[in-house]
Amino acid sequence: MSKLSASALTFGLLVACLLSGLAPAPARASDDKDWRPVDPAELALKAPVVERDADAEVLFWEARVADELQENIESIYPRTVINHYLRIKVFTDRGREAQSKIDIPFTTSVDIKDIAARTIKPDGGIVELAKKDIFERTIIRAGGVKVKAKSFAMPAVEPGAIIEYRWREVRNYNLSFFERLDFQRDIPVQSVTYYVKPLIIPGLGFRMQYFNGRVEQAADKKAGLSFSMRNVPAFHEEPNMPPEYQVRPYMLIFYTADEEVSNADGYWAGFGKRIFDDNKASLKVKDDVRAAAAEAVGDAQTPDEKLARILAYCRAKIKNYLDDASGLTDADREKMKENKSPSDTLKRGAGTGRDIALLFGAMATAAGFDARVARVGDRSQAFFDKRQTNSYFLSSYDIAVKVGDQWRLIDPASAYVPYGMLLWREEGQEALVSDPKAPFFVRAPLSGPDKSVERRTARLRLSDDGTLEGDVRIEYTGHLAMDKKELNDDDSPAQREENLKELVKAQMSTAELTDIKVENVTDPVKPFVYAFHVRVPGYAQRTGKRLFLQPGFFKHGVGALFSATDRRFGVYFHYPWTEADDIQIALPAGFSLDNADQPGPFAAADVSKYDVEIGLSADNRTLVYKRQFVFGSATDVSYFRPEYYVGIKMIFDEMYKRDNHTITLKQDAASAAATPKQ
Amino acid sequence: MFYRPLMLCGLFLALACGAARAAGDDVPGWLQQAAAAGAPAYDKTVKAVVLHHEQHVAVGADGRVVTTTTYAVRVLTREGREYARAAETYLTDGGKVRELKAWLIRPAGQVRRYGKDETADVAASPDDIYNELRVRLILAQDDAEPGAVFGYQSITEDRSWNSQTGWLFQDELPTRVSRFTLQLPAGWRARGITFNHAPVEPAVSGASYAWELRDLPAVAAEPSSPAWTNIVPRLAVSYFPPEGVSVAGVRPFADWTDVSRWVTELADPQADSNDALATKAMQLTQGAKTELEKIQAVARFVQGIQYISIDLSVGHGGGIRPHAATEVFAKAYGDCKDKANLMRALLRVVGIQSYLVAIYSGDPNYVREEWASPGQFNHCIIAVRVGAETQAPTIVRHPKLGRLLVFDATDPDTPVGDLPHHEQGSLALIVAGADGALLRMPTTPPEANQLERQAEVTLAADGAISATLRERARGQAAAGYRGEFKHLSRPEYQQTIQAWVASGVNGARVTKVEPADEHDEGRFALDIEFSAERYGQLMQDRLLVFKPALVSRREALVLTAAARQHPVVLSPLAYTETVTVKLPAGFEVDELPDAVKLDAPFGSYAATYVVKDGQLQFTRTLVQRAATVPPDQYQSVRGFFERIRAAEQAPVVLARK
Repeated sequence: MSKLSASALTFGLLVACLLSGLAPAPARASDDKDWRPVDPAELALKAPVVERDADAEVLFWEARVADELQENIESIYPRTVINHYLRIKVFTDRGREAQSKIDIPFTTSVDIKDIAARTIKPDGGIVELAKKDIFERTIIRAGGVKVKAKSFAMPAVEPGAIIEYRWREVRNYNLSFFERLDFQRDIPVQSVTYYVKPLIIPGLGFRMQYFNGRVEQAADKKAGLSFSMRNVPAFHEEPNMPPEYQVRPYMLIFYTADEEVSNADGYWAGFGKRIFDDNKASLKVKDDVRAAAAEAVGDAQTPDEKLARILAYCRAKIKNYLDDASGLTDADREKMKENKSPSDTLKRGAGTGRDIALLFGAMATAAGFDARVARVGDRSQAFFDKRQTNSYFLSSYDIAVKVGDQWRLIDPASAYVPYGMLLWREEGQEALVSDPKAPFFVRAPLSGPDKSVERRTARLRLSDDGTLEGDVRIEYTGHLAMDKKELNDDDSPAQREENLKELVKAQMSTAELTDIKVENVTDPVKPFVYAFHVRVPGYAQRTGKRLFLQPGFFKHGVGALFSATDRRFGVYFHYPWTEADDIQIALPAGFSLDNADQPGPFAAADVSKYDVEIGLSADNRTLVYKRQFVFGSATDVSYFRPEYYVGIKMIFDEMYKRDNHTITLKQDAASAAATPKQ
Repeated sequence: MFYRPLMLCGLFLALACGAARAAGDDVPGWLQQAAAAGAPAYDKTVKAVVLHHEQHVAVGADGRVVTTTTYAVRVLTREGREYARAAETYLTDGGKVRELKAWLIRPAGQVRRYGKDETADVAASPDDIYNELRVRLILAQDDAEPGAVFGYQSITEDRSWNSQTGWLFQDELPTRVSRFTLQLPAGWRARGITFNHAPVEPAVSGASYAWELRDLPAVAAEPSSPAWTNIVPRLAVSYFPPEGVSVAGVRPFADWTDVSRWVTELADPQADSNDALATKAMQLTQGAKTELEKIQAVARFVQGIQYISIDLSVGHGGGIRPHAATEVFAKAYGDCKDKANLMRALLRVVGIQSYLVAIYSGDPNYVREEWASPGQFNHCIIAVRVGAETQAPTIVRHPKLGRLLVFDATDPDTPVGDLPHHEQGSLALIVAGADGALLRMPTTPPEANQLERQAEVTLAADGAISATLRERARGQAAAGYRGEFKHLSRPEYQQTIQAWVASGVNGARVTKVEPADEHDEGRFALDIEFSAERYGQLMQDRLLVFKPALVSRREALVLTAAARQHPVVLSPLAYTETVTVKLPAGFEVDELPDAVKLDAPFGSYAATYVVKDGQLQFTRTLVQRAATVPPDQYQSVRGFFERIRAAEQAPVVLARK
């Protein structure tokens, strides 16, 4: 899934600037050479303003971003100059520890200049950072590339002190293309302001877009445009939260040749046409592709059968040489020639994900389908919203094929995506289908919980000392299988077994696994399977006359998903899924069921469903346990706003309780009399 | 049809020539030989095997040291690719990597060569503000595959600051040949000591000494095992110029006193004070009534100094010489030796004598008495000379200096009177000039590291509970709690406690988390209140089943492997818990778990259940002694902890009256 590159555009812009004869703007340093006065109230501040319990808080954070042209004897080149200035109040020892050490990393084309820093002690005394205490380090030097850092430790920092530092960053040969400007840090921020001075470039407009926060905008003749936020809380990760940049406030700045980005339809129409034009030649059908398509389709009758066969053909015949599980080394990859057409890909039997996708598109065309390149968002990064008129957010691509009056989206580049599904991060969003005249959006279907199933079966025998032993098989389909395959496909068979052992032992520390089989790890279609023999000493608890048994074997030792009472961000599950358990446990001789109750089912609207059935075999000697848990739907992406956290937590707490339901087995009188006291 | 064999033969010759040509092109003989040598079959979990590892150290008469390393490893599994890497460290102050070349011989015989263009030069400690130690790296894992042989050859040049060196015969991988050769100028001599292995005698030829081991087995990674530096064979070597010959940078150490003298020379001048420092010392100790209180006041201040490491002139003793105490005081940051040295300077102002202590942090068994070398240490703490009135568990007696209170100013969570577990029992050097000596650091008994927990629980007829939990920790148990409290932000701490409670009591609603740190006393208290619905399971409205061990111990040893290669190392700790459960009206106890009593040389455990006046009292006590349990007794230690685990899962059954 390729990401957009700004390099070509940067070069084009540079040429445009140079040709336009624009007078280069002077490279200007920050106007405020001196430190800003410290407000006594800041020094007297005893507690954080934005977030209670914060260990340190940014009083202000400013960055003056200026794109400009720099002239030297030989050439004129663009650069971005950023003057940074931070003032931070330290409240606790933790805050002191976290904020005292400053590293400013930079690469070869970047200069870091004019670093100044000082500590204002609680009594108002000032300790300046000495120049000799600023160290320049080369973090890594390899292949002509250097990553360096300017590093320093703030002197004499203590709780109650204010630290402030500033520096000038010069990014040579650079302009602000899709520059992400964050408004949030790992500590709370009272005030953050970006002053932005773009370069005036004929034919290109400067644009900015804000996300996830309310930004105040102002214009000043001297300082340029300013963008501010106030009282921004610290960023803390939470389990099952949405992608980071779906919740962090930030601003994107960029230049664009598009006339009007505020007209979403017009913007996407223009972008969709460009995609079509860019890929038109690659989807052209030549004889070899036509022959391959005919071979692949064979006797398939329906359009879906034909497409599924073409997909299988592409995966079977073409090796994705960028895949970590391809078995290829870097040396092998270096030898690979670039495929300039689907014919090349076919001939060489290897290509990138994009090559395979285009070959699939060409073969589908050859088979009589209308096939196009489609662009789709990546919801592992951010949820796509077409009102955000920026191709940056459509970073992935698929092939769209028309079947009847419907468009099917197919991802031939990903090895384990079954026909009819996409990678989870592409599902449930709008996809832009390219077209020479009128590009359009279609919704990438969301696979329902029936498509991603964890089906677990166990045939076990319980001993009277509480040991449980038997055979287990776990099958994963859909997204669950894709995840498992990606996780295991680069591992050796021994490592795959180790992965499984660790997984089981994390739940049941005494478990001993033998006869392990891990099946279909690299098969594109078949379910991923674990099969093994397990022995778990002490699984059931034995008292004098009873055995306590948790029949939900697969959930034994699994904690509740959510423990926190409060929540800041929404709850996000990548995809819907189903768990289906079928467990039989042969009871030990001399024991019979003491309680025959079972936990009740529950359902939460169309979000979740849980059901358990516990019974006995006809001879009363085998406990039969069937459980099903369904979460999510094919209708909506499983994202729940923070106000629904309590409800979501309740679902998983209830499930936990029911999964931990314990059955009591009572020892028969005769058997008890014969059992020696432990 | 006779042409077929001929054609096959021709193809074979072509392949063989191709392989031979590729391999013979510039692959050194030692690597070709190592790659061609057979190797036994290994267990499928072994990722790679070291075919050849050799280091040749040539010491010049001027003290210059040139080290040539040759290394070959065969990748056995996909995971073993990570071993296809070459790494050579050097100090920017006087050291350099003169050459680093590598080769990858693929299973089919093709060779890939790695030189300057494929070499990265990286900071060895990227988190330090500045550190002169760097690494030259060649990473070939993305080119490697099972069956491939990776080899490298390096030449480094350095000027030693002492006349000692060492060699690890292996890491975790099985090793076919491991050889260390020391080439000295004529007339010089060397002495080697072998650790973790029967003595390895060198082959001596003139002034050349070679130590060699072959066919070393793989070292399994096991929980709670000794540090691997105490498992794999290693060699410590000292070399000496002829009597009466003095060479710059060649500093032989006759004994530990000699090491003490040398470190003292480097460190002593750095402990001078100035007015600001002296004023601070007086301020800190102003209200202190006793010697111990003065030490505690200074210790707390120094512990509060931020740990920041800036290592300069390491090749000239900079790794051992602290920054000036006045500078560290002014900047309020420093590393371990800086902190210890600042504490020394502050104490001196108030008339208390103290000494730097060189120690190895992380493995109490690392330092060996038989090799007098500053190279055995990686950390610096302090020993404070105290009078008879000062009493603490961490006082050792020095034959000449008397009673010394040992303290680690770098550990922010362990107060005066205690020592971090990983330093207890270690050999450490008291840096006191001619009076310096290697001393065994004190160890604290399990009771000094105790956690006491009391829980008051009210159980309702529907299984709901409300509970208060009081934890009182001391010693290293308190240090662990304190570390968690001090290093997590308040919301993170709250979440950690919530998650811990919820791991034992599902859906627990925690309404109070009240920590109290009594740092100087070495105690930490935590009071928690929580409630939960349906903690007990009501069965058919007749039986009510619940586990009286509501929450887990924070640290529990889990030994799951069926067999064990290395000893199990246990730290001293003690734990007691009393849970009082007020039983719901209308129920009576139908069944209680059996009481448990376990006794072993390394510890004891007991769990009891008593019902009285409508209340159940459950107690559990664990005493774990500092011990190293040999592998042949593994089943006993495993069984011990398994029985504890089972006991703590045992439920109580109530029945309706």
